[in-house]
Amino acid sequence: MGILVGQILNSREESLISMPAILILIPSLIKIGGDTGSMLGARLSSAFHMGLGDNLRSNPVVHNSVIAASIVGFVSSISVSILVFLASSFLGFGMPFFTLLEISLIAVVIELSVVYSATVAIAFASHRFGIDPDDTVIPFIASLGDLVGVTGILIALHLLNIL
Amino acid sequence: MPSESHRDEDLFESQYIDKYLSEYASVSSIVREALPFELLATVGGVVAGIIFSGMTAELEMIPGLLVIYPGVLGLRGNISSTLGSRLGSAIHLGLITDLDRHNPELMNNISGSLILSVIVAIILGFLGHFVTLALGFESAGAFTLILICVISAFTSGVILSFVAALLAIGMFRFGFDPDNVVTPSIATLGDIVSMLMLFFSAKMVVMF
Repeated sequence: MGILVGQILNSREESLISMPAILILIPSLIKIGGDTGSMLGARLSSAFHMGLGDNLRSNPVVHNSVIAASIVGFVSSISVSILVFLASSFLGFGMPFFTLLEISLIAVVIELSVVYSATVAIAFASHRFGIDPDDTVIPFIASLGDLVGVTGILIALHLLNIL
Repeated sequence: MPSESHRDEDLFESQYIDKYLSEYASVSSIVREALPFELLATVGGVVAGIIFSGMTAELEMIPGLLVIYPGVLGLRGNISSTLGSRLGSAIHLGLITDLDRHNPELMNNISGSLILSVIVAIILGFLGHFVTLALGFESAGAFTLILICVISAFTSGVILSFVAALLAIGMFRFGFDPDNVVTPSIATLGDIVSMLMLFFSAKMVVMF
């Protein structure tokens, strides 16, 4: 999966190298989805192990964990764009702050919605089929976070007509 | 009466679950515990990104470097976090008390994680080269990519294993649970160190 992420980046190599600020943004932004998704996955599987995972819709653990993970994800993405703005203007290739904020927010919305749906789906499915969710969710979600993160950033760049 | 005691048990259990859910699964408690670590991790990510943006010359000179970079970072993070977690368990069991070169538990864990990183790095460089070629892009050659992967994975592995062992033993001495401290800090530090080592090994390969 890492190679796949690399190939997506490689196909846009020229334009990425011309925008160092985006290069700073990539490693931290793609980590947010994997990190918060892994946290969500670990919480869901602990809840299943304790017998709290009976139905999907009215389950407070699922509900609250998804809300909390999204809050953490959004706050981190805002802090990433502030840090990247400071770092890039300090290094002399500044980008407008609102462009960076827009890129991070669009990318994070795409990333979090895909990663969290996948996390909940995999956790429930592996629980249903009797496979320990602890073993299945985290390794998969960490790589999926990278993949969707990079795709999200490229989609955001396209939407804002930067690429 | 057996049925009554059963009902008591049920009552106790449902009270326990309610209490548990209000403490464990409330949105504010999750955010309070997770947000500081995530913010710290983003700082590490930005530092790694700054190093990455300084690599533009190497990225242009070595086609394929951009392909292996997410893999090298992921490999390092996964293997080092596992090492940190294993060291934490060994310290809790009393198998490791000191940073001692003759302690088989400590040295086996570290050498095992180093061997694993070298093997995965070779596979990564190999895959990186052939997948890039298969998709019709230019690649710097399998040997160059494998060399970069192996050098950066091995050197960052040595540094991070040392830091993980030091941190785990030190934190335990000061009364912290190494499991809570080592894995998040190694994950954050891992990105920075492996990015730096990727940068150096790319520079070395360009020079020769």
